[in-house]
Amino acid sequence: MSAIHPRSPLCQLPAGAMGRICAIEGDEGFCQRLREMGFGEAALVTKISGRTTSLCEVNGTRIALNHGAAMSILVEPLPAGAR
Amino acid sequence: MKLPAHITLAGLKRPGTGPERTPVYAVVGNPNCGKTTLFNALTGLRQKVGNYPGVTVEKKMGITYSQHGRPIQIIDLPGAYSLAARSPDEAVLRDVLLGRRADTPQPDRIICVVDACNLERNLYLVHQVLDLGRPVVIALNMVDLAAAAGICVDPQRLEAELGVPVVPTEAVHGKGLVPLRLAMSRIELPLAKHRWDVPADIAPAVGALQVSLTENDGRPPLIARAEALLLLTDFDAVRVAGSTPHSPQTAAVLAHWRKRFEENGTDWSGLLIRSRYEAINRLCAGVIRRPAEQGLSFTDRVDAVLCHSIWGWLFFAGLMAAVFFSIFSLAEYPMNWIDSGVASLADRVKGAMAAGDLRDLITDGVIGGVGGIVIFLPQILILFFFIGLLESTGYMARAAFIMDRPMSKVGLHGKSFIPLLGSYACAIPGIMATRTIENAKDRLVTILVAPLMSCSARLPVYLLMIATLLPGEAMPAATKAGIMLAMYALGTAGAFGFAWLFKRTLFQSAPPLMIMELPPFQPPRLKEILRQMAERGWLFLKNAGTIILGISIVLWFLTTYPKHPDPAATPTQQIAHSFAGQAGHLLEPVIKPLGFDWRIGIGLITSFAAREVFVSSMGVIFGVEGADEDTTPLRDALRAATWPDGAALFTPLVCITLMVFYVFAMQCMSTLAIVKRETNSWRWPLFQTAYMTGTAWLLCLLVYQAGRALGF
Repeated sequence: MSAIHPRSPLCQLPAGAMGRICAIEGDEGFCQRLREMGFGEAALVTKISGRTTSLCEVNGTRIALNHGAAMSILVEPLPAGAR
Repeated sequence: MKLPAHITLAGLKRPGTGPERTPVYAVVGNPNCGKTTLFNALTGLRQKVGNYPGVTVEKKMGITYSQHGRPIQIIDLPGAYSLAARSPDEAVLRDVLLGRRADTPQPDRIICVVDACNLERNLYLVHQVLDLGRPVVIALNMVDLAAAAGICVDPQRLEAELGVPVVPTEAVHGKGLVPLRLAMSRIELPLAKHRWDVPADIAPAVGALQVSLTENDGRPPLIARAEALLLLTDFDAVRVAGSTPHSPQTAAVLAHWRKRFEENGTDWSGLLIRSRYEAINRLCAGVIRRPAEQGLSFTDRVDAVLCHSIWGWLFFAGLMAAVFFSIFSLAEYPMNWIDSGVASLADRVKGAMAAGDLRDLITDGVIGGVGGIVIFLPQILILFFFIGLLESTGYMARAAFIMDRPMSKVGLHGKSFIPLLGSYACAIPGIMATRTIENAKDRLVTILVAPLMSCSARLPVYLLMIATLLPGEAMPAATKAGIMLAMYALGTAGAFGFAWLFKRTLFQSAPPLMIMELPPFQPPRLKEILRQMAERGWLFLKNAGTIILGISIVLWFLTTYPKHPDPAATPTQQIAHSFAGQAGHLLEPVIKPLGFDWRIGIGLITSFAAREVFVSSMGVIFGVEGADEDTTPLRDALRAATWPDGAALFTPLVCITLMVFYVFAMQCMSTLAIVKRETNSWRWPLFQTAYMTGTAWLLCLLVYQAGRALGF
C-alpha cells in the first residue's frame, strides 16, 4: 500500500471526500450483504457526513451505516476530482 | 390443480397453460422501489392480507384482470436486495420463488420492479431471478424521478439485452399500468437471453447439487441450478417454518462440498457476486446515460440538516413532540364522541331488554369491554397516520439513523425505535412493528421491553391517582404535568434499562452492524397512507377486540357470581361477594406490604382486560355511579376510604406507589396474546409477565416501605 494513500475506515473519511473500497472486514453475512448492494471491493464511495454513524453514497444510492459497520469498511481516499 | 414437476423447455408450450388456468404472478423487487405501490395499483381493493403460516411475515395476494378480462393472481413478495436471505422476509421470498412452501403456489411468472435511479443494484436481484428460468416482465419504475435526476435509461435497449419485456412505469401516478397489463396478458412470454457462466471453480459443485435437487427433490432443472448456486454461496441461510426441507441426499452433497470449500479457503460468494456485477455493468453500459456532473440533489441538501448531529436532533425532537401532542389532543374529540356513543348504546339496550343477568352481560360485559378498546381507536389511527406519513416521505429512515447512537448504547439499533415509539400509544401495534428488525435477538428484546413505554391505557389510572393525590380543587397544572411526565420518564428509563440488561445477559449478540438505504425524499402519498391506516387499524381492532371481548365476558362473570344472598345488596357488597372479591381477599396479603388492600386488589385483577378498567372497577367497588365521566365524586370517595382500623387507604404515598405499579406491571392480556403470536411460543409472554410484574412488586415495596420509614 502506498504511503500517499493509506487505508482508513470509512467513518474517518472526511465529509465530501471520495474513496475506493479496499477491504471489508467483519461478519461474513454482513460482508456479503454489502457486496450484494454494490458496496464491494473497488467500488467508489462518496462520504456525505458523520464521524461515527456515517452517511455515504455508492452508485447513486444513499446509505447509512452505524459506527461498527463504518469501522469495518476500509477505503483508500482518492484526491478530489479523480475518477 | 397441482401438476407434477413440469418441465420448462425453451419454446415449448407448458402443459396446463390453457385458457382455463389462472397464471400466478409474483411481484419482486428491492425495498423502496415502489413494488407495493405497483401491486396496489394493479389490484386495487381486491387484496387479501394475512400471514405465512408459522412465520410473522405478511402475505399479500391480490387479483388483477388481463386485457381479456381474465383474472390473474398476484403475490406481493417481501422486498429484498438478493435471494440470499438475511431475514425472515427474504427467506419467505426465496422459498416462494423456489417452490419450497406448500402453502403458497409457486409463481408461474415474475414481475421484477426495478428503480430506474439505481438500475445496477436493482438488476442484481433480477439477475438471480432470471436464473430461475421463469418468464419475467420488468417494470422499470420511477422513470420520472430518474428523468428529474438527469439519468436516462433506454428501455428498448434493456429489453434487447435481457430478452424480456421492459415496461416503463410510474406506479405512484398510475402510469404504465396498461402496457404492463398487456405484457402480463401475453400467452407466450419470451424466455430471457440470460447467458451467464458460473465461475469455473464452482461449476462442479453446482452440477452435483443440481443433479441431486432434480432427482431427489423434484425440482425443475433451471430452478435446481439457481437453488444450487444459492445453497453453495449462502452457508448460514435463514430458515423459516413452513419451508419444505431438502432430501437427505441433497443435504449430504451440500455438506461434502461445503467442507471442501472451507478447506480451500476461497471466498465463493464474493467471486460469484463480483461475477454477476461484471455481467450487469457490461449490460448497462449502453443502457444508462448519466449526466457528467451531478450537483447536490434536493434530498442531499435536506439530509445535510436532518442528519446533522445537532440540527437533526432538534428537528427530530420537535417532530416527536408534535406527534405526541397530536395523539393526545386531537384524539380527544373522537374519543368523547365514541364514549357517549357507547354509553347511549348501553342505555338503549338497558331500556329494551328485561332486567337480568343477560342484559347485564351485554351492557357491562360486552358493550363495556369492547367499548373500552374502541375508544382507543382514534389515538391508534392518528399514530398510524403519522407513521405512514413519515415512512412515505422517507423521513423514517433518517429517524432510525439518528436514533441509532442512543439505541446502540443499550445494544439495540435504530430500527427498534419505531416500535418503541408506537408503544406510547399502544404496545400492540408497536410489537407488530418489530417485524422489520432482522436480528432475532434484538427483535425479542424490543418486544420484551415495549410494554414498559407507558401506553395510553395507563393515562386514566394516572389521572385518577393524581386527582386523588393532590388536595383541593384547583391543582396547579404544572404539578399535574410534572407527575405525569415523571411516570412516562420512569417507564422509558425502565425500558432502556431492561434492554441494556437483557443485551448484556440473556440475549448477548455482537453489536449490530446497521446498514440502511436512505430513500430520496418524496411528497407523501395520501391515498396509500390512508389505506394502510385503515388496514392496520382494522387488524388492531380484530386482534385486540376479540381477545378483550373474551376477557370482558369472563371478568363480568367473575365480578357477578356468586350472587350476594340479599337481592337488595348494593353493587359494592355484590362485588365484594363475587369471585373477584374473593380473589381480591386472597391477594391482599401479597399486596399489603405495598399499601394496597383487597379492593385495590380487585382493580388490579380487572386490569387484566385493559388497564383503564381499573377506574370503572374502583367506581363499582366504592359505590360511585358513572365514574368514567366525572372523576370528582370518585376522587372524594377514594380519599374517604379507610382500612378496617380507620387509617386512610389512599394516602399520597399509596397513590404514587399505585402509579409506579402501573408503570411496570404487565397486565394487558391482549399484549400478551400478541407477544405469543409474534414469538411463536408461550415462554416469552410468561417471562415478560414475570419480570415486569416482579419488578413492579419489588419497586413498589421499596417505594412504599421507604416512604413509610420517612414518615409519609
